[in-house]
Amino acid sequence: MTMTRRRVLGGASALTAAGWLGSLTGGFVLRPNWAHAAGPIKMGIATDITGPIAPSGNANWQVAQFVVEEINKAGGIQGQPIELHLEDTASDPKIAVGNVRKLIQERRVNVVLGGITSAMRQAIKDPIVNRGRTLYIYPQLYEGQECTRFLFNTGPTPAQQCDRLIPYLIKTMGKRRFAMPSANYVWPQLLNRYARKVIETNGGEVVFEEYYPLDQAEYSATIGKIRDGRVDCVFSTIIAPGLQPFMKQLYESGFQKGGGVVSCVYYDENLLNYHPAQEMEGLVSCLDYFQAVDDPFSKALQEAYSKRFPGTKYLFTAGSASTGMYRGIKLYEAAVKATGGKLGREDVAAAMDNAVLTEGPGGGAQMVPGKMHARMNMYIAICRNDAGRTRYEVVDKADMVEPREC
Amino acid sequence: MEFAAKFAFDMVAFTSVMVLIVLGLGVIASMMGIFNFAHGELVLLGAYTVYLSSEAGLGTWPGLLAAPVVVGLVGFGLERTVIRRFYRTPIIAMLGTYAIGLIIREIVRGLLGGHYKSIPEPIGGAFSLGGIEFSIWRSFIIATTLVVIGGTYLLLARSSIGLRVRGALENPMLARACGISTSRLYALTFTFGAALAGLAGALIVPLYQLSADIGIRFLVQAFLSVMLGGVGSFEGPVLGAAAVGGLAAWLPWVVTPVLADPLVFLIALAIVRVRPQGFIAVGRL
Repeated sequence: MTMTRRRVLGGASALTAAGWLGSLTGGFVLRPNWAHAAGPIKMGIATDITGPIAPSGNANWQVAQFVVEEINKAGGIQGQPIELHLEDTASDPKIAVGNVRKLIQERRVNVVLGGITSAMRQAIKDPIVNRGRTLYIYPQLYEGQECTRFLFNTGPTPAQQCDRLIPYLIKTMGKRRFAMPSANYVWPQLLNRYARKVIETNGGEVVFEEYYPLDQAEYSATIGKIRDGRVDCVFSTIIAPGLQPFMKQLYESGFQKGGGVVSCVYYDENLLNYHPAQEMEGLVSCLDYFQAVDDPFSKALQEAYSKRFPGTKYLFTAGSASTGMYRGIKLYEAAVKATGGKLGREDVAAAMDNAVLTEGPGGGAQMVPGKMHARMNMYIAICRNDAGRTRYEVVDKADMVEPREC
Repeated sequence: MEFAAKFAFDMVAFTSVMVLIVLGLGVIASMMGIFNFAHGELVLLGAYTVYLSSEAGLGTWPGLLAAPVVVGLVGFGLERTVIRRFYRTPIIAMLGTYAIGLIIREIVRGLLGGHYKSIPEPIGGAFSLGGIEFSIWRSFIIATTLVVIGGTYLLLARSSIGLRVRGALENPMLARACGISTSRLYALTFTFGAALAGLAGALIVPLYQLSADIGIRFLVQAFLSVMLGGVGSFEGPVLGAAAVGGLAAWLPWVVTPVLADPLVFLIALAIVRVRPQGFIAVGRL
């Protein structure tokens, strides 16, 4: 085959096409409508506006706008308004690192909030915290063990998700034999390591713990092991796209009809319509907030959010890191108030270490001094099926659960 | 025993899904010598058609019926404008079709907002046979696959169109000299392959979930199936798909599932090494 100009160009354009989304992303600034002599507090949001994680990322961005607008309306922090800077991390750590550098070097933000997946956190924490010398707040529930200085975690840890849930499954629901089918990446592996300990200390037994490629499409071998091992509780950490076929085959095998319980700790309101209602029924989840939680503050918050974004498809939920984002911004506000408006990283981090939030979605939160993680309320909810419409019913609440990290 | 029957059924159902997806790819590869790397996205478009029809409140059936037609037309358009320029350069054709697939995939991702969409089965539930419950939709897929295989076989091996297609495959120059328009035949073949992909997408989407990546997930396995079965025959890719699908469903029983995926490839590649012409030798269509 001779190489003609056309052939070379044809090949090259096909390769360029492979990365075409990457070059389209740009930054975005949301300025406050009033000014202060000292200038605004610059808050960077680095989240996944495009790519597979976009639904969560957009929810995070909306929550950030919502909270910051409320703070600015109430007079800012110590008289200083907040200016929001958005960079798209595009669900791709390689793209993210460059875009996060823009936040740090060009926009010179005082704090960065964001990142959804652990892979993303790992990729952007170094440009933010070490090379960028900036404060970083990570909002998502995750596998724990992130003890970097100047990196504050405002989502729930494995201890917060398991310490109450697993005894509930064993003692209250009477389940003993656990199966742990899991997607093969870091969150399920570390979460399972913790969950297994809690299961065993509470008198339960792990029949099998197995990892699958993320896009596995056929689960009859797994279902066979669940049935042969007389499993009565499936503690699943499978994620999409392998999730739908797994749940369908599990349901078709009659597991739930035979009294089995499925528990999955990232299920929030976004996942209510993920499976047909009969497959969702009875699923047990444990998160820091459900929309069914009916304290007046959470209710008012939810209403205000829907008023700000009417009919939005990006919900204010716990699983998408939205509650962590809310907490992160409000804890930062509390910390800057405590420093008297000083924005230096050392000052704010020292104040952040003791920051307390009295009210929030699902209740308040307190940073545990020296531990980089927050105490928060945790809720256990079971999915109910009202003639084809699914909803969560909160069946248990634990106050100010310890994160047990660092 | 009851579970053995159930899992045998699951495996047959999964194998049917593989066969459905591979059939269109195999037909195009065999007839036209082109590996269509946009095949996964044609499957995606079939699934997306069902989603559109159910979003429009028409239910899933109209989408299911429309999918092969819509995707066939898309395939026809692609062949007339782009694919026909690739016939003489199969390597560039791979890159080119990959690019087409990428464009379709990212457009659909944009339209879906990156969400995963759940689509209910047109006929849900299960039926009972000898005290064992079988999913109706999986049975429907198995039955449809058999019908499609039979129909395709009759069309290619028994009809006069099939005769001309086989003639054009054997010796395009001679076929053209005999007054057969090979360019029209190729367009027809590509349209047919695309329509099969659309049908496959529409049938499988209730089992999985509509996301932009639904097609790409199967593409590499489908490619392997065609390699394994042998290019140039009709039975080859079908047998290849059955082998790959069966292996993929059975291996997780005996090894850890993370290893099962690479093992499928290893075994298939070993077979291709021993029998490079595939299960069925070339040119018997």
